[in-house]
Amino acid sequence: MDRQQEFVLRTIEERDVRFVRLWFTDVVGSLKSVALAPAEVEGAFEEGLGFDGSSIEGLARVFESDMLAQPDPATFQILPWRGETEATSRMFCDILTPDGEPSAADPRNVLKRTLAKAADMGFTCYTHPEIEFYLLKSQQPGPDGSPIPVDEGGYFDHVPGGVAQDFRRTAVTMLESVGISVEFSHHEAGPGQNEIDLRYADALQTADNIMTFRTVIKEVALQQGTYATFMPKPFTAHPGSGMHTHFSLFEGDTNAFYEAGAEFQLSETARQFIAGILKHAPEFTAVTNQFVNSYKRLWGGGEAPSYLSWGHNNRSALVRVPLYKPGKGQSARIEYRGIDSAANPYLAYAVLLGAGLKGIEEGYQLPAAAEDDIWSLSSAERRAMGHDPLPASLHDAIRTMEDSELMPQILGEQVFEHFLRNKRAEWQDYRLQVTPYELQRNLGIL
Amino acid sequence: MSLARRLIAAGFSDLDKGERFLAARELEGLDQDALFAGLQLAANPDTALQSLVRLIEKHPELRKLAVADPESSEPLYRVLGASEALGEFLIRHPEHLDAFEVRISPEPLAADAVTLRARLLQSVRADPKSARPVAALSGQEAYAALRTAYRRGLVELAIKDLCAADPLDFMPAAGAELADLAGAALEAALAVSRAEAAEKFDAAEVADVGLAVIGMGKCGARELNYISDVDVIYVIDSGALEDTLATTIGTVLASGISRAIMSTSREPGLWEVDANLRPEGKSGPLVRTLASHESYYARWAESWEFQALLKARTIAGDPELGARYEAAVTPLIWSSAGREGFVESVRAMRRRVTEHIPAEEEQRQIKLGRGGLRDVEFTVQLLQLVHGKSDESLRCRDTTSAIAALSAGGYIGRSDAAEFDRDYRYLRLLEHRIQLFQLRRTHLMPANEASLRSLAKAVLGPFSAERPKPDALVAAWRQTKRSVRELHERIFYRPLLNSVATLSSEEARLTPEAAQGRLAALGYLDPRGAMRHIEALTAGVSRRAALQRQLLPILLDWLADGVDPDAGLLAFRRVSEALGTTHWYLGMLRDSTAAAERLCHVLANSRLIADLLEVSPESVAWLGTDKELVPLSFKSQWLEITSKMSRHADPESAMRLIRLIRRREILRVAIADSEGLLDQDQVGAALADTDRAAVLGALRVAETIVTAEEPLKTHVLVVAMGRQGGREIGYGSDADVMYVHRGLPGVPEEEAQAQALQIVGKLSSLLTQPLKPAILAERVLAVDADLRPEGKSGPMVRTLESYAEYYRRWSLVWEAQALLRARPMAGDDDLAEDFVALIDTVRYPESLSDQDVREVRRVKARVEAERLPRGADPARHLKLGRGGLSDVEWLAQLLQLQHAGTHPELRTTSTVEALEAAAALDLIDAADTVVLLRAWRLASRIRSANVIWTGRSSDLLPSSRRDLEAVARWCGYGQGNAAALEEDYLRLSRRARAVFERVFYGQ
Repeated sequence: MDRQQEFVLRTIEERDVRFVRLWFTDVVGSLKSVALAPAEVEGAFEEGLGFDGSSIEGLARVFESDMLAQPDPATFQILPWRGETEATSRMFCDILTPDGEPSAADPRNVLKRTLAKAADMGFTCYTHPEIEFYLLKSQQPGPDGSPIPVDEGGYFDHVPGGVAQDFRRTAVTMLESVGISVEFSHHEAGPGQNEIDLRYADALQTADNIMTFRTVIKEVALQQGTYATFMPKPFTAHPGSGMHTHFSLFEGDTNAFYEAGAEFQLSETARQFIAGILKHAPEFTAVTNQFVNSYKRLWGGGEAPSYLSWGHNNRSALVRVPLYKPGKGQSARIEYRGIDSAANPYLAYAVLLGAGLKGIEEGYQLPAAAEDDIWSLSSAERRAMGHDPLPASLHDAIRTMEDSELMPQILGEQVFEHFLRNKRAEWQDYRLQVTPYELQRNLGIL
Repeated sequence: MSLARRLIAAGFSDLDKGERFLAARELEGLDQDALFAGLQLAANPDTALQSLVRLIEKHPELRKLAVADPESSEPLYRVLGASEALGEFLIRHPEHLDAFEVRISPEPLAADAVTLRARLLQSVRADPKSARPVAALSGQEAYAALRTAYRRGLVELAIKDLCAADPLDFMPAAGAELADLAGAALEAALAVSRAEAAEKFDAAEVADVGLAVIGMGKCGARELNYISDVDVIYVIDSGALEDTLATTIGTVLASGISRAIMSTSREPGLWEVDANLRPEGKSGPLVRTLASHESYYARWAESWEFQALLKARTIAGDPELGARYEAAVTPLIWSSAGREGFVESVRAMRRRVTEHIPAEEEQRQIKLGRGGLRDVEFTVQLLQLVHGKSDESLRCRDTTSAIAALSAGGYIGRSDAAEFDRDYRYLRLLEHRIQLFQLRRTHLMPANEASLRSLAKAVLGPFSAERPKPDALVAAWRQTKRSVRELHERIFYRPLLNSVATLSSEEARLTPEAAQGRLAALGYLDPRGAMRHIEALTAGVSRRAALQRQLLPILLDWLADGVDPDAGLLAFRRVSEALGTTHWYLGMLRDSTAAAERLCHVLANSRLIADLLEVSPESVAWLGTDKELVPLSFKSQWLEITSKMSRHADPESAMRLIRLIRRREILRVAIADSEGLLDQDQVGAALADTDRAAVLGALRVAETIVTAEEPLKTHVLVVAMGRQGGREIGYGSDADVMYVHRGLPGVPEEEAQAQALQIVGKLSSLLTQPLKPAILAERVLAVDADLRPEGKSGPMVRTLESYAEYYRRWSLVWEAQALLRARPMAGDDDLAEDFVALIDTVRYPESLSDQDVREVRRVKARVEAERLPRGADPARHLKLGRGGLSDVEWLAQLLQLQHAGTHPELRTTSTVEALEAAAALDLIDAADTVVLLRAWRLASRIRSANVIWTGRSSDLLPSSRRDLEAVARWCGYGQGNAAALEEDYLRLSRRARAVFERVFYGQ
């Protein structure tokens, strides 16, 4: 880490970096940025940079608004869209209390704690997200009130001369230049919908990458005169934007999820991990699907998984075990399909990993795999087979989370409390709204 | 003499086996007397005999040496008896038996490092004269040669060590030779590694890369154990090569060294070569250039890393490069004491001394724990770091030299130093002998008697007349540990005193700067102020000053353990000045360690107690005995009050005495609480008793005042309400009360009422009004009658009939609820009985209507919304916050209102009893009750702790780390657990709130 600090200082010198941004994330996952003069970087490494946390969602305790931001030099990057001359750079930072302890309310610290716990159990966690988003003509909705996509393409469509094509090429180049490797990118099912898959990396780095990713995507879109949105479900008629994430645990350099010859080549550890996720999924849905709108995706059909189930290459299951390719034991992994693109990645990964680790710790039993298409089952059939539904609304999700004992353990009492407070307020706000739907449906006849 | 007795006399443990081996073919025809003469020299004759027989089997010539004159055979028997592992080695390599053909010396010298280096290098056929020797051997052959040569060296050292006249005297030399031998082995390993690297890279390039192996820890300090990890750091010099290539080659060279030393092979590996102390630890590069090291240490290294560098020394490789490294890092070590975080890292180091010892090992640990080796090393290093900055004579690496230097420089007393040195050597000798036996890395005393017996023999010198006995050994070891523990305090603090007051000319004397530096390192934030207090405490020729000079060293240490040592020391000075020459005070400090430790503990952790002790120093006497710390019962307090009142008829002086008694009793409870003699429930009850005595006293005085002018017309009863009624109060709580009176027969009602009003008015002011002279540090008992019927607009005091009438006509459910905790506190007993009978009908209704239940819930919800102070975080408010005191109490009260009519078990004013009874009646889930009570007790505890720590009441869970730390300690958490308390409270209160919402609101 210290060589890295040195590297940062040297790069700032050599590339004539004029502006440094410290990035961190509030409890709901919005990116926050504090500006720093290059001359202050060294001091910030040593002592952190003081700032007033009281205005940041979920960060400040009531009587204590002085917080310290301590940059993590391993995350240093020049921001390419800000131009080559007078470069701007950024680092993610950890939030500390004035006495230099990690702040209990810092989402990044929550994930770090969970990863430390995994490390105590001998695991390293790798994740690899597939991030979907819509490219719109502008932030403003069209005359009919719904947003206007940039094209009318579908899954894997190659739209000739398409905006999306150009967009993806520029975005991918830019992502690579901030050190985020892209695995795959293609047009998704909805019009204007795109998916970009990031290469797997350890969970903390992935979460940092996702935060950067969202910024890069939005910046590139603006550059090109379009607008990118990670809103979970911007169109009633088209699929929502999910952030399916693949998880794997490594013990040293062996994949702990792989066991040759076992069912689906899944080790006992993997089975317990999945069992943990399934058991606790209703409790953490408020985190992985944190907005009112998230539930429109979750329950809007399409490919969104709404029931507790797992399956081998079953695209209707909440947890999918991807098809095993012979000889690729190291790539054994599981995919959680519930998260949406607007989740706070630090908290979402923390709760998922935490639930999975709980499953391993307690040796949970995994129910049988779902072989059918779960959407085609009747609700009685689903009930009979134990495919309970995920919470149906943000309100349900909050209620379920409130009763959880595991969530406060993973998040820490303070984040748990702040998060719920924020979400209750959102639900309260939403309930007050009279929606176009109601007007359209009722105004004429009542 | 029978063979068995002979065996016993020689120290054998297993007689059967001994007989069998003596009868072995290999020993046939040997003179048994000569054999026994040898065997009884062996620390463990059983092992010696078995090894001997197996050796003769391999190497029959040894028969001659086995029965040679004792002078010649002594080394053989001593080594075989002290080390099973070296016996095994010789069986593998009988060619090295020639090691025993030495003339033993009672005053041996350690082997010369240069010679050892040459021998090990020659073992792998490298030229010791070359600047960068390269071995002619490589691979397995080289490893075996190197390791065998190393172990041969061990045998030679063991002979010297075991035959030295005084093993304690030879101990440092043995440690030095072990370190040099390890260095020589690393040198030879480097030569092998160079040879191997030359196969992969260009030989000229390999030769161009300079590499220095810097020894850290015990090897660096030349005080190595027989077997231990060797901590190293690698420095390279790129020569003419590019840094990247040089680093690659350097890394290969360094890994080659580890391979040669410890990879699995025919001849087992030697020890772990541990490079984890390098910059960035495990994640850092294995080798670095000097410049890279320098920039790391200049910029990034943490406090402890500089402390580790104290031991750094070049042990192998390029001496010139190593010297440059040492020259570069030395200044950093000595400025580390001035760095930020030094005090905290010292405290952490100190905690490491005592923490994390598995319970089953605690009784056998030589290294860890109080009084263990690490304790000595920590003490010595800390003093070196603090004083070495200005005094270069302290800049030595090994512990024994450092003790000598500290003593010579006057930083520790001469006799203390001598004792410390002896203790250290003894502990190290134990460790050496234990490790030598199997060459295993252990720091535990053996558990079984036979091993203890041979250990006892092994630590005695060859000329000792003592008989080795296991229990004597254990006793001696324990004695040493105790002595180390005590010396610890003397060594740290005694010289501090000497800098302000000369104790005796032969004692150490510090300069003021050195003394302040030391105090700062131990956690005093204002060392200059602390020095002033120490000066004041120790100046003069009085008996008190003399005694304090003796005691202060240890007192300062105890104070430094507190959250606020500076305040503690100041308070101690005040108490001490107030008590002056009181005979018992000095005697108690001198004779009762426990009392003195308690005193320091309370002074450095509690503002409340410190303030109270300052104004009533005589209470310090209670610290001497737990008996004095048992809270006085109400009865005995009342007895004292009545007897004082009978002697002081004057109301003012009577009231003064009553309030002084209350102040005294609060202090008693606080101290008992601080020593863990009371739990939270008992604290509440004891404080309530004290208030009760005071209120009753005030009532009697008020009556006396009023009846001085007119005859007594009415009896007044004071009824405690709220937490006071439940005997669940904290330090400095108000007393919620209601007043009842009953006019004497024949007195007109208005007159009785008027007099009653006068009495209760007086009562309240008697308890609170300022007195002359003022009662210092008193937390006055404010009496609050706002819970009376009709609240502030109702009459202060009513007759029984008036209450009855009121409750019949107006009673609201919240009043019934308030009455649940009504408890007659002071006044007429008959009236009390009648009043209770009256309110029982109100507070324990046959049944509670749904409407009333709703009303209780509604009021609670409104209180939640309105009473919480603006801006307060509900999660941190102990009283009105989420899952706080009020939630639990309201829940208990609702259950009482609903069910106490039918279940008399629920009729109690205590929240705890009510909830427990409800659980027993299955009115509430037992698990829920546990959650509620734990949250309630912790919240009560934190409120009390807030007052104890700051002297002020606060209903909030503190936010600042320091306050949280102090409160955590009062709540029974160990040092450094502030965050744990915070998390626990938030968790418990969240769970309590969940239970509350479910049960109370019926959700």
